[in-house]
Order: sequence, then C-alpha cells, then structure tokens
Amino acid sequence: MAKTIMIVDDSASIRQVVTIALKGAGYDVIEAVDGKDALSKLTGQKINLIITDVNMPIMDGITFVQEAKKLAAYKFTPMMMLTTESADDKKQAGKAAGAKAWLTKPFQAPTLLDAVSKLVLP
Amino acid sequence: MSEFDSALKIFAQESEQLLLDMEGALLSLESDPDDSEMINSLFRAMHTIKGSSGLFGFNPIVAFTHEAESVLDKVRNNERAIDGELISVMLDSKDHTARLIEHCLSSPDQPLPDELTVASDALIKRLTGKQHTHIQAQATDTSQVHSEGGGNISIDDSWLISLDFRDNAFRNGMDPLSFIRYLKTLGEIKQILTFFPEMPHGEVMDPESCYLHFKIAFTSDASKQTIESVFEYAADDCDIKILPPNSKVNAYLQLLDSLDENHVSRLGEMLIQVGALTEHDVEHALKDQSDAQQDTAKPLGEILVEQQMVQKPVVEHALKKQEQTKQKVAAENSYIRVDADKLGHLINLVGELVISSAAMNLIVERHGLTDAGDVAASMNSLVSSIRDTALELRMVQIGETFSRFRRVVRDVSNELGKEIDLQISGGETELDKTVVEKINDPLMHLIRNSLDHGIESPAQRLAVGKPAQGIVQLNAYHESGHIVIQIADDGAGLDSDKIVEKAIANGIIKADHSLTQQEIYNLIFAAGLSTKAQATNLSGRGVGMDVVKKNIEALRGSVMIDSIPGEGTTISIQLPLTLAIIDGFMVGTEQVRYIIPLSMVDECIEMDSTESEINEIEHFINLRGHALPYLRLGEYFNTPKSNVVKKHESVVVVKFGQDRAGFVVDELHGEHQTVIKPLGKMFEKLKGITGATVLGDGNVALILDVQGLIEAAIGKRKRKPALLH
Repeated sequence: MAKTIMIVDDSASIRQVVTIALKGAGYDVIEAVDGKDALSKLTGQKINLIITDVNMPIMDGITFVQEAKKLAAYKFTPMMMLTTESADDKKQAGKAAGAKAWLTKPFQAPTLLDAVSKLVLP
Repeated sequence: MSEFDSALKIFAQESEQLLLDMEGALLSLESDPDDSEMINSLFRAMHTIKGSSGLFGFNPIVAFTHEAESVLDKVRNNERAIDGELISVMLDSKDHTARLIEHCLSSPDQPLPDELTVASDALIKRLTGKQHTHIQAQATDTSQVHSEGGGNISIDDSWLISLDFRDNAFRNGMDPLSFIRYLKTLGEIKQILTFFPEMPHGEVMDPESCYLHFKIAFTSDASKQTIESVFEYAADDCDIKILPPNSKVNAYLQLLDSLDENHVSRLGEMLIQVGALTEHDVEHALKDQSDAQQDTAKPLGEILVEQQMVQKPVVEHALKKQEQTKQKVAAENSYIRVDADKLGHLINLVGELVISSAAMNLIVERHGLTDAGDVAASMNSLVSSIRDTALELRMVQIGETFSRFRRVVRDVSNELGKEIDLQISGGETELDKTVVEKINDPLMHLIRNSLDHGIESPAQRLAVGKPAQGIVQLNAYHESGHIVIQIADDGAGLDSDKIVEKAIANGIIKADHSLTQQEIYNLIFAAGLSTKAQATNLSGRGVGMDVVKKNIEALRGSVMIDSIPGEGTTISIQLPLTLAIIDGFMVGTEQVRYIIPLSMVDECIEMDSTESEINEIEHFINLRGHALPYLRLGEYFNTPKSNVVKKHESVVVVKFGQDRAGFVVDELHGEHQTVIKPLGKMFEKLKGITGATVLGDGNVALILDVQGLIEAAIGKRKRKPALLH
C-alpha cells in the first residue's frame, strides 16, 4: 500500500510541484491550504508524513504542528517544515513544536524526495 | 631486515620475557596473594603487551589482553580478590596470549582461526565471570564483529555506525527503520546489531518510548558527511557515532600528510578537512569539552577518540602534523643567542661609523661637493637606521627583572609579618640590557625600603581603615626618550617633620631652611639620613638611599620621590634608554662645543633684552611669566673669553623632571648623533659634565650633565640674594 503524505502550503504552485513529485515517486498525497484546513483533513486516516509551510494565513505551520501532535492518531507522525530562510530561530521553534525535519525553500524535486525518503520509503 | 621486521622481533622477545615474568608473578602470588608488587607486574605485562600489539595492529591480542588487563586493574584496586581460581585463569590467559602472539607473528594477515577465537571467548568469560557481549570488544577491537553464530566477518572496510535513540524518538515521528532503510541506498549493511539493555519488563515498559540501540557495520564509498546526513533529522533524538573504516585510516593519514602547511590549524579543522570528521562531530566534542569542569576537561583529540568518532591513529597523526608545523613556524621566527661582548663590539663599531659619517658630511660640506652631498645624505640616513637597529639588538624587556622581585616581596613580607601584594605593569617596556643589569640593585633597595618603611603592619593598616594587605606597584613606561620606572606603595607616606628633624640633627640642612615639601622628601637620598627609629637588617641604616641615587645618576638617570602622608609614596626613576649613543643637541660658546641630550631640550630662545625681561643679578629670565633660572655656560666652565664681539646670545631651555633652566650659549649647531665616550677616571667627578664625544672634525665636545647644571642654576639664583644682604 502506498504511503500517504500530506502537504500543507498556501501557495498553490508549491503544492502542485510537491504533489507531482511525490505522486511520481509513488506516494499518495493529501493537500491542504493552511493549518486549519489541514487539521480538518486529519480525520484519523493513516498519514506517514506531514510536510508543512511555516508562514501561512489563518493558521501558521508551527501552530498547526503543535495542534496535530495533540491528535492521538498523528502524535507519532513525522513532520517536516518548509522554511524560506534557513533562519535558526525558526528552525528551533519548529523543532520545539515537534517538527524534527526541515527543508529549505526553494528546493528541487530530487532534494525533496531524498529528504522524504529519509523518513518514509514509498 | 626492514625496520618493521626488527621491531617485530623486539616485540616477540619483549612479550616472551613479559609472559615469563607474568608466570613467575602468578606462581609467587599463589603463596602470597597480597604482594601488591607482583600484582602490579602482572598488570604491567598485560598492559605492555596490549600497547605494543596495538602498534602492530594485532587486534585479537589487543582485545584479549584488554580484558585481562581490566580484571587485573580491578585486582590492583582491591575491587576483586585474587584467589586460586583467578590465578589458574590467569595462567591459562598467559598461555593463550602466547598462542595469539605466535599466530599474529607467523601469519599476521590471516584471520584468527576458530579455535583461538573460541578459546578467547571462553577465557574472557572465565576472566570476567559473565557472558561476553562482544560490545565491549568493539571498543578496542574494531576490526571484527562476532556474529551470534560465532563466525567472523571482517569489517575492516566497514564504517561502524552506532545509533543510540533516545526516549522521544517515536514521539517525534522518528522511525529508526526508515533511516536504516535509507542508509541502504548509500551502500551495504554488512551487519546490524540491535540491543535494548534499558528496556524494562512488562507494565513498566512504555510502548511510546524508544529503547533501541543499533550498531551497524556498513560498507560504502560515501563520505562521512554524506553518511551523517542520513541521520540529519534524527540528530535531536539520537546519539550518532560514525567511525570510519580502518581501511580509510590510511587514506586519512595520507591526506593529513599532504595538507598544506597553511591549512594546518586546529585539530578539529584539520580532521574535517581530510573528511575524517564532520563539522557536527567537532561541534559536539567541543561542546562536551566546554561543558566539562575546568580541571576535568580533556583535550579535544581524547574526546573524539573516546566518543568513537575517529580512530586514535588519525588523531595522533593529525597532532603530530600540527606539532611539526608549529615547530617549523617557531623555527622560522626563532631567536639567536649572541655573545653580549660581540654585540657590544658591534655597537662600538657602529658608534665609530656614526662619527666617521659625520666627518664625511663635514668634508663634503666644506668642499661644496654637491654631487657627493646626495650620497652622503643617503648614507647618513642608512647609518642612523643601522645605529637604531644595533641599539635595538640590546634592548630587553624589563619584565624579567620585575618578576624577580616577586620572590623578594614574598620573602620580605613573611619576614616582616606584613601582607603585601606586588603588582607589576609595563613589563614589556624595553631598555638597554646594560641599563637593566645596573638598575637591578637600586631597584632592589627601593623595593625593600617600600616594604620595610612604606607599608605599615596589618594592625596599623586596619586601624587607619586600609585593607590589611598592602600594595606595592612596579610600573615602567617610556616618556620622551627615557624610561621611567615607578615604585609605588600605599603605605603611610613620608613623615616630612621627622626627615627635617633628622636632617638638621645630622647637619645636612640648617634649622632656618626654606625647602619645599618636594625637596624635603628628596633629602632621604642624602647620605646619613634614616628616619626609621630602629634599624632592621633590611634597611634603616642610613646608607643605601644615597648609594641608590649615585648608582642611578651613574646611568645618567635621576630619581624622584613623591609622597602623600597616609596614602603612600611613589619613587620614580628616570633612565636613558641606552648608554651608548644619544640624539644630542650641539651648542657652542667661546669656541667650546657642548652636547645636550636632545630629549632634555625644551626650546631655544633669543637672549634679547628687549623681549624677555632679564634679571642679571638674580640670574633669571622672565619666560612667559615664569622665572627661568639661567646659567652662562662660558662662565660656569670658566672658558677663556675670546675678543670677538658677540652678536647675540641664545638660551637653550632644558628640563629635567619638574625643573627647568636656561643655558646661555653663543652658537646653536643643531641636532647631532652623539656617541658617548666615558670620561677617564680623572674627570669622573667633574661637575656638569657626564661624558664626551668625538666630532666629525676630530674635535671633542663635552656632554652636559643637565640635571647637575639645572641644580647649579637654581642654586645660584637662590644664593645671590643672600650675598646681597
């Protein structure tokens, strides 16, 4: 069974690039436009990895990770942050919230797949 | 026979002897189990064999002797009793070690035969008295991992990766399996050991916590950096140690050798450069180092080896390279020890050169040789830089002299029962070695004086609200071509009434004196004056201070004293930087030329009665509102008056410390590089002259004793009114 990855990003183009890359590698993908949208889509199904942007309207990535970790079904789900800058304080905030993996934007598909495959193999 | 072969032979002989000794020791322990010397010799035997086997890469011997050594260490520390059973195990271990050595010597490249491996394991089990887990062996023997079945896999070409996951790994979404699977994309996992020693049983076990530890033998061509990046996301939840394969060690060693000297820097940086370590490794080790207590902090290399981040030989090699480079660099700016006499001779020659060059200038000028003038000018500047450099050769820092007084202060303060702290500053100030040598005794005397007379006893100090510990400060600094050395104490200060009383009693001054406070203080430099009621064996006999002053003046220096009652005394010694050559200012009067040290010349003014008010009776000039005593050099030295009508006279204003005076002369000749020639014994006591110099035209100029002349000028002015009465 294919592994499922959720991508949370307010930029449609990023979502699209990520989705195409992940689907091409054999993953199933769930898309969400912000933290709130993502939380509403976490309905208990098995998700192997959540990739989320940090700066998003309505609910930002760090809050979303904190909220998602509170859900019993997803407390062990690895979380990956997408950051525009490799600013250390943002990284630390993300790590504190529970996202131990991160990827600096802009990235190319192979980099993304490589990072993802460290956490989930298709 | 190669060097290596002969080393092996020595190893064989040495081991044989050690094992023989070990046997003897074991047998004698059987009758006397408490003989600690015997236990020590047992330990040494195993320890030495382990050490030298390691040198030759005989890992099976290292692994086995390490176990035996650990057991013996416990025995040595009385943590384990020596009994008949242990002695027999040790005897077997000794025989087994001999077999291992034989095997390694005869076929060093062959893996250990199974029966020896089994025997090793069995003996280790008997030695330690528990199941051997193989994990311990890995610490010392990285070349072999024993699989559960007992077969051996050579992992010489393998990276050894140890992953120690922390409790929170699962909770943070880290799945060890996904990292290990990802690792497989980089190479081949040869062997993986999973263990979970901390996992509690039954209900206590928390299924959400991670208890897993892995040791992985991994073959790959990837760099350490790449392998480390696999576990990048796990770094927060896992202790990761990646030990490069032994086969890589040689590559690292070669890379270290080929490192450019400019790149040889700190150990961590070097190891990162050759790829033996990643930045993360170094950061981690440095953090451990800085977290450790000051006194328990280990060198970085030791930490790296201990944490199994890199093999010991690599660290050792890097350190060696570092040391070599350091030595090379050190050799490049090294010192040469030179005979002081040779240096003195050189400086004398340079002095002569200065004179000759002045002579040449004079001739060039006299004959109006304009083209030769340019050459002479450039030679002049060269000669003056040679002079400066030559003098610099003799310059030494005064710090060493200063630090010698630490001991004096310590001893004397103990003797006197005082608490005194010596504070040294300006130790880097340089001055001529000959001056340093000669200033030592006067300084010693002055410091002893400060300790004895200056600083009060702790009880007295506390009574006047000062801290019990007194402070003596030694300071040195440069000031207008001189070096000033100050000795300051925070003691009681000088008692001027007592000094005056004593001085009158000793007939040094008259009762109706009109001395300033400063002058009274300086009376302590007069012969036969001591204010200390009782003479101690340190000071107080009234000889000394006058000798100090004489010695300092012999160096063309001066000494001054300043004191604030209750707050302390400061003695300042002013010394010339060098005794050989000075920048002088040449003046002339009545056909005689004189040199005034340039650093003492303040200004030159016209002796013009219309502008300056001149008081010919009291011998002073009104210089911008200040009375400046003056002296006609011609009159003072009684030179025969020429009949030439003087057009005008000039006044050279000189200063010495706080005092100023004017010397009235006929001619100003300007700056002159002056090589000081001491006066002969006969003229040593002449007043007003400290030396002479040979001029370019062969004539002699006298070097003036400015301090003495200023005193004379001031004295003259003072005496005059008295004569008028």
